Amino acid sequence: MQDRRRVELEAKRAKLAELKKAREDRKKSEQTRRESEAGTTGPTRKDLARRDLDDLVRDVLGGSREESAVGDSTPFSSQPSTPARPHATLGPALSVSASGRLSRASDAPSDGMGGNGDPLRRESFDNMNIQVQDRFVPDLVDVEQELFDLPPKERVIYNKEVQTTDIAIDPIPSISENEIREQILREQEAERTAIQEEKSEEESLLLERQLEEEIKDMTEEERTSVLMAPEFLDFLEQSSKVVQRALSDNYDYIRDYTLGMDSGVDSSEGKRVKQVCQFWDEHWCKNRSITGVDWSPKYPELSAASYNKNPSAPNDPDGIVAVWNLHLLERPEFVFHSQSDVLSVSFSLFHSNLIFGGTYSGQILLWDTRSKHLPVLKTPLSAAGHTHPVYAMQMVGTQNAHNLITASTDGLVCSWLVDMLAQPQESLELAHVSHNRTNEIAITALDFPDNETTTFWTGTEEGNIYQANRYDRAGSKAGLNQYDAYRGHAGPVTGLHFHPMVGSVDFSDLFLSCSVDWTVKLWRAKSAAKPSTSSQTINPLYSFDESDDYVYDVQWHPSHPALFGSVNGSGKFDLWNLNTDTEVPMVSTSVGSSRALNKLKWDRKEGRRVALGGSDGRLYVYDIGDMGIPRETEWVDLQRTVESLGAGQSIDGLPSR
Amino acid sequence: MVSSFPSQGTSTTDVVSQNGPSSTSSSTNAPVSPELEQILSSLTTNRSVLGYIVLTRTSPIGIVRHSGVVFDGEQGKKYASAVKRIVDAVRVGLEDVSGAEGDELKFMRVRTKRHELIISPDERYLLAVIRDPSS
Repeated sequence: MQDRRRVELEAKRAKLAELKKAREDRKKSEQTRRESEAGTTGPTRKDLARRDLDDLVRDVLGGSREESAVGDSTPFSSQPSTPARPHATLGPALSVSASGRLSRASDAPSDGMGGNGDPLRRESFDNMNIQVQDRFVPDLVDVEQELFDLPPKERVIYNKEVQTTDIAIDPIPSISENEIREQILREQEAERTAIQEEKSEEESLLLERQLEEEIKDMTEEERTSVLMAPEFLDFLEQSSKVVQRALSDNYDYIRDYTLGMDSGVDSSEGKRVKQVCQFWDEHWCKNRSITGVDWSPKYPELSAASYNKNPSAPNDPDGIVAVWNLHLLERPEFVFHSQSDVLSVSFSLFHSNLIFGGTYSGQILLWDTRSKHLPVLKTPLSAAGHTHPVYAMQMVGTQNAHNLITASTDGLVCSWLVDMLAQPQESLELAHVSHNRTNEIAITALDFPDNETTTFWTGTEEGNIYQANRYDRAGSKAGLNQYDAYRGHAGPVTGLHFHPMVGSVDFSDLFLSCSVDWTVKLWRAKSAAKPSTSSQTINPLYSFDESDDYVYDVQWHPSHPALFGSVNGSGKFDLWNLNTDTEVPMVSTSVGSSRALNKLKWDRKEGRRVALGGSDGRLYVYDIGDMGIPRETEWVDLQRTVESLGAGQSIDGLPSR
Repeated sequence: MVSSFPSQGTSTTDVVSQNGPSSTSSSTNAPVSPELEQILSSLTTNRSVLGYIVLTRTSPIGIVRHSGVVFDGEQGKKYASAVKRIVDAVRVGLEDVSGAEGDELKFMRVRTKRHELIISPDERYLLAVIRDPSS
């Protein structure tokens, strides 16, 4: 056993020695190679590698002769597995079997081919080898490239390191850096402000210079001369009007609805009648009352109001007419003067510039908006015209043939051509011959039925309403129809209005009247073609007794058949709808300061707005919303309503039909 | 028919001079006809109006009259020249566009965030009103 062990040990030692020797050999060979490499610096690596390979091939081919010198060392050192030897033995066998077939396996085929020992072949083979080597070389270079690639990477890392070191340093000087930044900013700002100041100084200097250039200091004299120039007054009159119209339009064009607004409670919410505006001018309207109201037929935003005198301003004209614009609230668009209180006002239906006024003195005045304050035409104060107050006035006819009909309290009714006010075209004295006290008819109200130009109804101071004809007519003479008296009012009649002809059913024989007896009465007019031959009393169809004061005016709504409005002495504007209720108004509104309202006028188009003339000198404009829009059935309903009203009221009197 | 207008003007003179002191708000005290005074004072009755300024369109321009704090003193002069420049610029611009002879600038509204400037120019004069639309 021990022997065996000893043998084994010795064997191991021998092996060890062998290994040592091999190591030394390897070292030596490496040294020699290095030396040879160092010696042959001229040839490139490629050549070296080729030589190595050539040697190797020669080793294999040439057998063991040369093996000892070079071939032995190189393959062994480079490839410990040493495939060269086994190949050398295997090679011929393979070459025989492969019989010239070229296999690309690196050494073995070359052995087989080179087995012939033919120098030519060998050369070509060498070339092959070179080719192989050529292929091989780029691989090596690649590896080197990879090595070369690394340093840049390292550099990048290094750069990063530099950056990170920067960042690492950052926290400490960060404050200072910020400070620096701030400082820079401050400096920049300071510079900027300095520049700005300089600039602004320059600008202000420039501006001052400009101002000096642009604006001259006007002397008092110059200024006065400008102020006194008539064209300056004209300019200011016009331009201020324009500006004030713009100011009246209060809408803010740049309002932003996306912003949340604190929703204030709209005080007018829920009310069915809303005040649009009130017209008032401190200078012109103070201490005056409105006596008449009219809307422009051409411009729906214009309305005219007539005023009586201002007792505290004896130097102002006694009567005025103001034309108001819904887009100009602060002042009247036009002011027209009269030497006497104006009691009634009417736009010309056919000339939008002309406005008529009836005065207390009896004069009829015509103003033109194209001219100044004074009337362009007026009637004479003589027997040829009116000499008593004109409370009632109406324009009748068509574009080509129209007249202004005026009536004064002495019973005189005149017909005028609008362009010839020197004398009336016709005049008609209304007289009640059989009246027990006086034959004079004091006309306070007058109205023509729609589409009627020759016969009209007048309200009088005594309270009766009479029908009159302008001309002789079949069965009746011109003048008052004294047999048919519409009795019902116990005081002067203040308003009279015929039902407008609109819609499917004709109610143009219905009219309303109001009086200082606190009532509004509905009447059915007797046909003018069949006058009575003996005295007859016609009773009202119905009496609206709701008011608790004088009723000053009443007007049918222009488009809704059952709707009418009335105003009274306590400042109430009542809106009645006969189809809804005949006992109480549909809406009753207290207007303004609750002082008496004198006149009421619906706008001419759809009757959405109503102008109310107050005794306080204010003209109120109200909007009734959609109450003025009639339903389809209103006309039929009104027919039924009127039937039932007539049935209830006409029992005690003679039937009106 | 219009001829008696001046007499009307003089007839109203006394009346307005009675109420005169209460209604004058202008800083200049050049004598002014009562009618003019009334027109001018009515301009400021609107609560949103901060002031007005009346200029002659001569060269250089002259401030005929002004009212309101905004148009006082230097500020007023600045506004006056600004208004002049605005109007001139717009006029020139419009002339460039239309090129039409006989057309003229009649009215301008300049709305800024805070104010509104309403300008009504004439051949010889110019009226400008500044207002605060938010009030």
